[in-house]
Amino acid sequence: MATEYKLRMGDGKRLFMTKEQIVADLKEGMADAADLGDIPDLSEDEIDKLVEIITMPSRMVGVEQGMEVPVTHDIGTIRIDGDQGNSGVGIPASRLVGAMMHERAFGADTMELGHIDYSYKPAKPVIAQEMQTMEVCQQNMIVPLLYGAMPNMGLYYTPDGPFENPGDLMKAFKIDEARESMEHSAKHLTRDIVWIMQRMMASGSDGVNFDTIGAAGDGDMYASLHAIESLRKQFPDIYIEAGMAGELLLGMHGELEYDGTVLAGLWPHQQAALVAKAGANVFGPVVNTNTSKSSAWNLGRAVTFIKQAVKDSTIPCHVNMGMGVGGIPMLETPTVDAVSRASKAMVEIAGVDGI
Amino acid sequence: MSNEEMFKQLSDAIVSCKKDAVLAAVEKARDEGIPPAEIIEKGLAAGMNEVGVLFERGKLFLPHVMMAAGAMEAGVALLEEDMPKDAASKKLGIIVNGTVEGDVHDIGKSIVSTMLQSAGFEVHDIGRDVPLQDFIDKVKETNADMVGLSALMTTTLQGQKDVIEMLKEQGMRDGVKVMVGGAPATEAWANKIGADCYAENASEAVTKAKELLL
Amino acid sequence: MGMPISHIMTSGMSGIRAAGDLVARMEFSKGMRIGEAKDYVAKKLDVTADDLSDEYVMRELREDLGIGVITSVAGAPKGIAAKSNIEKLLDIKINSCEKFRGQLR
Repeated sequence: MATEYKLRMGDGKRLFMTKEQIVADLKEGMADAADLGDIPDLSEDEIDKLVEIITMPSRMVGVEQGMEVPVTHDIGTIRIDGDQGNSGVGIPASRLVGAMMHERAFGADTMELGHIDYSYKPAKPVIAQEMQTMEVCQQNMIVPLLYGAMPNMGLYYTPDGPFENPGDLMKAFKIDEARESMEHSAKHLTRDIVWIMQRMMASGSDGVNFDTIGAAGDGDMYASLHAIESLRKQFPDIYIEAGMAGELLLGMHGELEYDGTVLAGLWPHQQAALVAKAGANVFGPVVNTNTSKSSAWNLGRAVTFIKQAVKDSTIPCHVNMGMGVGGIPMLETPTVDAVSRASKAMVEIAGVDGI
Repeated sequence: MSNEEMFKQLSDAIVSCKKDAVLAAVEKARDEGIPPAEIIEKGLAAGMNEVGVLFERGKLFLPHVMMAAGAMEAGVALLEEDMPKDAASKKLGIIVNGTVEGDVHDIGKSIVSTMLQSAGFEVHDIGRDVPLQDFIDKVKETNADMVGLSALMTTTLQGQKDVIEMLKEQGMRDGVKVMVGGAPATEAWANKIGADCYAENASEAVTKAKELLL
Repeated sequence: MGMPISHIMTSGMSGIRAAGDLVARMEFSKGMRIGEAKDYVAKKLDVTADDLSDEYVMRELREDLGIGVITSVAGAPKGIAAKSNIEKLLDIKINSCEKFRGQLR
């Protein structure tokens, strides 16, 4: 009987596969990425290396010594004091304590301050609190500390915001009106992000993390790129990380452009150039995990996409590797074996500049 | 022109998302004596399937999907006089779709509604943060064949299970299929709570709805 | 919480346990790719690129350079003071240090 190795499904469940099955799944996932993104396959050596990583007997694996990369930490201290909805562990602690725990206890290479709602728009009414917390954290901390939140353009649509919901308009075949609503929302989103970051920079922030750009489609990306451009002009030395929401930039509007490129339908390697052009320092590409496929399929696919993004990017790429992305299972408590294998594969095969 | 070539032309016209092209192709197919049901099924509907595939691949976008759906509606309307009464406007099934209470995520659910609608289902999108009883009431009101339950947070997934329990309590479960979706939902979760299916994305939602309802 | 820790243990540079914060600063402040950032920091610290993830090398060096250490050594520079030394060492500007200097009378 052929030796079986322990793997995971995309939802985290234990799975046993033979080496032949692993190779087949890896190649199938790789082929899916290559087909969708119109990008090259991995080489045979890279596939062999992936198989080696996946079949290592130890529970946890690590990158070869000397290949370590910075691990940036998004969602801020919400993981410490947050609730289940934010994957938080509910330890009552101030945000300063949470940030310092990451720096001094966990060994994080950078850290982020964010508020519990974690979208830009709701930070406006509590901006003085955010500024005060940033100042206190900066006085005490050494690692780069960014302010982070989600652009989340959906908050500008009814019933949460002033502009008619494009989803409702679209379903009523009011396509032009839906597009106008997105354009108005994008302008307001850009303005809010810039306004918030002007104040956070005045409070000593090292910079900004855009978390989950494009969650509301191409309008969300359009607004974020314009905010990045504006912030770069106002603050030449600001650290800007632009992290994506998904692998494919959804075309909710379909005709929005940045620098002559239509935003809708862009894959990670195509997003990289625009993010750099706008003025970001670090790009956070995303590949979604399919919960109905094995970790071999997901990792083959994710590494293929990210390798090309790293190659095409002119700025450092910190691949997004949270719950349900980057080959990590969609599970509240992603298993250490799956996380460390995905992490190692992204560094050693995709060649990421950070995580 | 062979029938196969005509079906291809109808399908291509739908993919072009242009109403004029669709109407012209439908006229031509009708003139060639192709039965209306075949024009719709093998030409227009096949084109809409292709539109769905192109949307998932990032080659067509949501406005295009709606334009194609609008063009298909116009094409079907043109054929109505040649068909038995109500046959042309008959929907594939009735689906109530919404995001469960406590969860304000709207966009993914709206895309699913749009794709189901454009595939030929009658969709009642009841919004986001929807009180659970509203799903039951809407299913009753519309005599729906399926209810779609979206949840984007681990904390709101439970709402999907609760709606299924409410359907059972009110003796409605056997008459309505349940589809679940949203980032933290999985096949295993769908099986655990007794849903009929789980969809990974919008085009899979269409495929699974067709499997269950047609 | 376990996920970021798993990443840090698998792939990370250990932050101020070693020199991860310094390499990250070069990626963020100058847009340097990982190899370039490591080479830049290594040169400034007069160590090898491999040493940047080596807690043994960096523990003493960080204290000598006054750029902050993970244990709370009494009297050693912390916070803004440590970052001000990092500014000089890496030849970059750090916003919080600039703001701090701007507040001095």
